[in-house]
Amino acid sequence: MTRHAVPDLLPGTLDLLILRTLQTQSLHGWAISERIQQISQDGLQINQGSLYPALHRLEHQGWIDAEWAVSELGRRAKYYRLTASGRRQLAVEASEWDLMSTAIGRVMKLA
Amino acid sequence: MILRDLFLRIRALVAPHRVERELDEELAFHIERETQKHVTAGLSPVDARTRALARFGPVPLAADRCRDARGTGFVDGLVRDILYAFRTFRRAPLAALTIVATVALGLGLVAVVFTVYSMFFLRVDAVRSPGELFAVELERWAGADADEDGPFTRPDYDAMRRETSVFTDALAMLPMNVTRIGGRPTVATLVTGNFFHVLGVQAALGRPLLPEDDEPGAGRPVIVLSDAGWRKLFRGDRAVIGRRMVVNGAPYEIVGVMPDGFRGLGVTPPDYWAPLALAEQFRDDAAGRADEIAVEVIGRLKPGLSPEAAAAALSVWASGRAEFKTPVGRPIQVSLTPRQGTLSSDGFALVFSPLFFAFGLILTIGCANVANLLLARGVSRQREIGIRLSLGASRRRLIRQLLTESLLLSLVAAACGLVIARLFLEGVLYATITTLPPEMAQFVNLFNLAAPAPDWRMLVFVAAGAVVSTVLFGLAPALQATRLDLVPAMHGDVMRNVHPRRARHALIAVQVGASALLLICAAIFLRGAVAAATKDPGVRTSDTLRVSIDTETWRAAVLKTLRAHPLVAVVAASSRGSTRGVVETSLGEGGAETPSRVPVDQMAVSSEYFNVLGLDLVSGRGFTPTERTAEAGVVIVSESIARRLWTNGSGVAQVVRLEAPPSASPGGPSLPSRTLTVIGIVRDPGSGSSSPGTVGGVYLPTGPESPGTYLYLRVRGNPEQARLALLEEGLKGLDPGFGIMTLRAGAGMQTYMLQLAFWLTVVLGGLALVLTVSGLFSVLSYLVEQQAKEIGVRMALGATTRNVAGLVLSQSIRPVGIGLAAGGGLAAAVAIVLMATPAASEIGDLDVLDPVAYAASALVIATACLIAVSVPTLRAARIDPIATLRND
Repeated sequence: MTRHAVPDLLPGTLDLLILRTLQTQSLHGWAISERIQQISQDGLQINQGSLYPALHRLEHQGWIDAEWAVSELGRRAKYYRLTASGRRQLAVEASEWDLMSTAIGRVMKLA
Repeated sequence: MILRDLFLRIRALVAPHRVERELDEELAFHIERETQKHVTAGLSPVDARTRALARFGPVPLAADRCRDARGTGFVDGLVRDILYAFRTFRRAPLAALTIVATVALGLGLVAVVFTVYSMFFLRVDAVRSPGELFAVELERWAGADADEDGPFTRPDYDAMRRETSVFTDALAMLPMNVTRIGGRPTVATLVTGNFFHVLGVQAALGRPLLPEDDEPGAGRPVIVLSDAGWRKLFRGDRAVIGRRMVVNGAPYEIVGVMPDGFRGLGVTPPDYWAPLALAEQFRDDAAGRADEIAVEVIGRLKPGLSPEAAAAALSVWASGRAEFKTPVGRPIQVSLTPRQGTLSSDGFALVFSPLFFAFGLILTIGCANVANLLLARGVSRQREIGIRLSLGASRRRLIRQLLTESLLLSLVAAACGLVIARLFLEGVLYATITTLPPEMAQFVNLFNLAAPAPDWRMLVFVAAGAVVSTVLFGLAPALQATRLDLVPAMHGDVMRNVHPRRARHALIAVQVGASALLLICAAIFLRGAVAAATKDPGVRTSDTLRVSIDTETWRAAVLKTLRAHPLVAVVAASSRGSTRGVVETSLGEGGAETPSRVPVDQMAVSSEYFNVLGLDLVSGRGFTPTERTAEAGVVIVSESIARRLWTNGSGVAQVVRLEAPPSASPGGPSLPSRTLTVIGIVRDPGSGSSSPGTVGGVYLPTGPESPGTYLYLRVRGNPEQARLALLEEGLKGLDPGFGIMTLRAGAGMQTYMLQLAFWLTVVLGGLALVLTVSGLFSVLSYLVEQQAKEIGVRMALGATTRNVAGLVLSQSIRPVGIGLAAGGGLAAAVAIVLMATPAASEIGDLDVLDPVAYAASALVIATACLIAVSVPTLRAARIDPIATLRND
């Protein structure tokens, strides 16, 4: 397993990141990890080995849906997309995250 | 999205290879895409792949964690639980065996009751679309009794088929025709030619009856055997088709055999079916009047038509039919009731609830025993459970594990229970039929009773029973065993002071109470049976036979034969049963100022009746042979009536009025009231012989020639031998439908029923007691073992043997006492409730609050418990304090 100077993800945030990434478009697993890395400008590098268990768990919870489609490489890939209940879950988790990060931010500044 | 989750799980279970392949493909795609990215950035393919793999981490690990997410973990966990359970059983096979045996016994007994219940009320006959079949019944007037429903005759049936269109087709049948074939009583159902076609049943051998066999007035002498009849009469000989068989003296050809499982819409199958057109040959009373016999009509409702709409349409048709004579202006109601080869359960359910209850008690007691055993084992498994808990297993997971173990044992027990149920049922059937009085046995044999083969209903019932008993015996111990203080448990320090005492005491109390209830019932039945057997029947039974004549046309011939028979000394006659009436003394006679009225039972008897039945005349005279109708104006009254009406007790030569019962049914024959002279006073025929609400009997004269009377015979020698002799020589071939029984056997019937009830409850009560006592024994032995250290310390500190014995005894006296009180109280409460219901009159002479029965069962239980308790108590008293303390 590779270890970079990049910080590990906070526990529990991977689900949130996946849901957020899928909000606008459906993507396959590799594209999800690429996109998170790009948008965070390499600030977040998710453990690719943990990505797929998380995807499968979310699929079981019904928050994302999967279907096979032809990818940019010309071979079959499994594309994930957000479901209606996934959208609701994303809203809940995002607001929780906002509350949490503001609170932590305040403590870090003022304590 | 539980559905989505379920779908994915099921998919993973049913198509594991496909799901695996997709997982591999998904992960492989990722590696390939990552490699592609590095190649685009300028790396060599080999380096690119290496880097991609390194970035991803171990692929098998990721795949494994994906599988975990898949949620087949439940099934995997179940498999692990089951394997673990089997290891546990192997470690303690005796415990597993005890649990299985106990629960199997309980489940088996409950399954017996369910089998019988299912046989009567649930087991739909094997016909096509049974839900469409309805029996058609006429109700002549609203509120009429069932007996008063109008007959539906064959011409009515033909007209209904012609003139109405609510049924796709309808059939008519005439069940319960008793015939003799080769000397054996057999029972036939006469059916219309379309019977088998309407029901949609094919013959197993040969052909079914056809419409051509059943042309009215020209029925063919052909019969179709049921599977039961085929086996009974021909031992399942396949070459039976085409053979001739003599029924009631006429030859019939066997054309077919119906399949096993087809019962002809009855609870049990008849022996054979014959064309309804031949009804006159089966029913002597129908000679020349075949069109007047009431038949059962069953129709197959047209699809889409509701029974209510069909009944309404049929009511309109029936009201317009001239042949249904009705009181003016009363429309005829036709009702449709489902007819699927079962009885309608209302009313009978009442009979079954106490049976379910009694048999269920055994299951409850068994479960209590097992629960106790598991509670005890839970303590000894504390270390194992403690280690698993501290290794991170959740409590829920452990409870699931323990319940899985219990459920596995229950399911094995359920399978054994099915076998036990079958053996028990066959045993009871065999025992009942072989011990039945011969008259009853002959009758019962007609029903082709057989223990039904287990069907899906049985399986569902027993499986559900297994689940319920798992909850009953497994839940509390599982909760108790996992409620642990982790730290000492991890140290391996088994908490000896964890005695789930309250639960254990409650279980013992329940067991003792249930045993008490069953044993009290057994004792009451036994006392009732003994009382009935020793009770003076009040009439002479030692050499008396009773003959009933079904076919009046044969009466003269039967009488002639009987009178001429060397074994018959005297022939007497009486009406069948008695009717209510009121006797009123004439005003001013016998010194009475006002007429006295008493309700009475009135019977018609012949002049020889009092002699044959040994009812002595107290004063006056009996009937003379010339007084043989009520027109003679004479009456004989019983002693109790005479005492009530005339102060000096002698009423001979008094004149009374005999009135018809005040509440005679509107349709019934109304008897005119008569003025009669009392010519004699006769002894009362024993206590309990008059029906409730009347004072005694009054007797009007009749003669043996009068239709509808029973004949009573005084015979020479043994009555049973005389009965057989009369059957064999005298009356053979005269009247196929007549019955002859010894009065002794008739009186024995009540005793027999009570004995049956006694044996049933005593077997159940005995089982309950054995289970209770063994439970008590094992629990106390276990407790003594657990408390050995404590007892040792007490003894070392100076406690005497007596103190120690007291300590152990005190642990069982309270629950046993509570259980006895509860069981006795419950029995008494049920008895009191029962006495307050209309069912009280059915109980007859049974003393449901018999103190002797209560005391005896309490004594038996207390003694048994004392014996069970004494062994562990002695063991405790013999504990050597030094040895126990050194041991630890």
